[in-house]
Amino acid sequence: MTRVVIAFVSAMLAAAVVGSIIQTQLNLSALVELSVAVSFQTRISTIIHDLLHFSPLFGAIVSAVMLIALPLAYAIAKGLKHEERWWFIGAGFIGMLVCFWLVNSLVPMPTLIAATRSWPGLLAMSMTGALAGWVFGRLWHPTPKELQEPVI
Amino acid sequence: MSKRYRVLTQLMMAVGLCLSPYQSLAADKFDVMAIANDLDHPWSLQELPNHPLNFLVTERSGGFKLISELGFVDEIPLPLPDLFVSGQGGLFEVSLAPDFNETREAFFSYACGNIEANSTCVARAELTPTRPMKVTELRKIFVAQPLRKGAAHYGGRLAWLPDQTLLLTLGDGFDYREEAQNLSNHLGKVVRMTRTGEAAPGNPFPHQAGGYIYSYGHRNSQGIVYDSTTESVWQHEHGPRGGDELNQLHAGKNYGWPMTSYGIDYTGAMVTPYQELPGVVAPIYQWTPSLAPSDMALYNAEMFSEWRGALLITQLAGKRLQVLQQRQQAWQVVHQLTLADEQRLRAVTVASDGAIYLLTDSAAGQLLRLSR
Repeated sequence: MTRVVIAFVSAMLAAAVVGSIIQTQLNLSALVELSVAVSFQTRISTIIHDLLHFSPLFGAIVSAVMLIALPLAYAIAKGLKHEERWWFIGAGFIGMLVCFWLVNSLVPMPTLIAATRSWPGLLAMSMTGALAGWVFGRLWHPTPKELQEPVI
Repeated sequence: MSKRYRVLTQLMMAVGLCLSPYQSLAADKFDVMAIANDLDHPWSLQELPNHPLNFLVTERSGGFKLISELGFVDEIPLPLPDLFVSGQGGLFEVSLAPDFNETREAFFSYACGNIEANSTCVARAELTPTRPMKVTELRKIFVAQPLRKGAAHYGGRLAWLPDQTLLLTLGDGFDYREEAQNLSNHLGKVVRMTRTGEAAPGNPFPHQAGGYIYSYGHRNSQGIVYDSTTESVWQHEHGPRGGDELNQLHAGKNYGWPMTSYGIDYTGAMVTPYQELPGVVAPIYQWTPSLAPSDMALYNAEMFSEWRGALLITQLAGKRLQVLQQRQQAWQVVHQLTLADEQRLRAVTVASDGAIYLLTDSAAGQLLRLSR
């Protein structure tokens, strides 16, 4: 039980951090396209701001998605006797895609997370679900080969 | 106790309970009276110049009403071409021509199209002089370009300049915020047109976006007035989370969105790391946290003589009326008033008797009179 909790929390943290950094880069690139200069220092301070203010919300969204997606993927993988890691990855990706669609149809604004307004942004942010699935599978049920890898 | 009397009592009590860091309005100095109830998300009000204290009121759902001083409500059929009612979209403002008494011309801003392709439109019409009032010669004269998806951020406020050209505020469509900096379209702009809907002569970008653009870099502006005393155009706009702005508009200037903002996105993410940039006009006042300014009127009457020259600004999320005055070169909130039930306020106008009339924003909206 402890292992699954640690795996899940680690996966959610990874997705929240990576998702936050991706959306920061997408937002800043939109400004750069408007000929706004963004220095390295400004980029770093914006990443930090968004990690503090955006990632908690995004982490909550990813967690809600994965609480449904991961058990579903596990059940399917067990039923079909397939490699569960790929099902976790796929379920995370599709779960996030469905979540963005669902959230945008429920909230008053057309698109809640600005970075998902474009297809590349939507796919990039959905990949955080895939990442969460991979991290979860890697930590919960590592392969014998992975268990032999050095910790650091 | 009748409903009308109960509302009046609640409102008068609320005036006294005004929660404010600014100077409170004493209850014994003010009367707040409900003139009309059960308006469906009323959006704008305009006093008829030849019938003092009779108001034209629009409803977002498309309703158009004439409301008398005593609260009698006449429905006026308004078959707007292509009206789109959804989300924030619908019928917005009614604005009468400066020479309305002679021409009977009225102008309507509204969302037009459908959920996949819509925009802000302006229609021109004539109002019959006798009751029951009717709308004739109704014709669409302007469609903001391009059409976009979704039902948010339309702008929609109108103001007349002394040369009888018409300013229209336009939103960025929410999902298209970067387009507020693109001079090849009307998203996030204030446009200036003639009363026939053509681009007004003298606009600063005659060869771009049909020559309509007056200013750009706006997010979603729902307040604009012309101040003849100072020859200024005052405009306010919604920021995202924080960063609502009051601006003094100048033709051809960039007001920054989304390159500069004092606010952040609803999700907590930064829209931009910059609050000010060279070449961008900074707001003369900004609200953080956001109060969601929804309309603005200039006070130049005698009833509240201490407010002469002040801007009256209604707030939706802030649920209050604010009075802003310029003191020592800076704009300050000098008074604010919160009504009973903390109602969202959608529109404000100053009538010929000097009283202030307000519209509340709900499915059972009210027309209120604030006087002393």
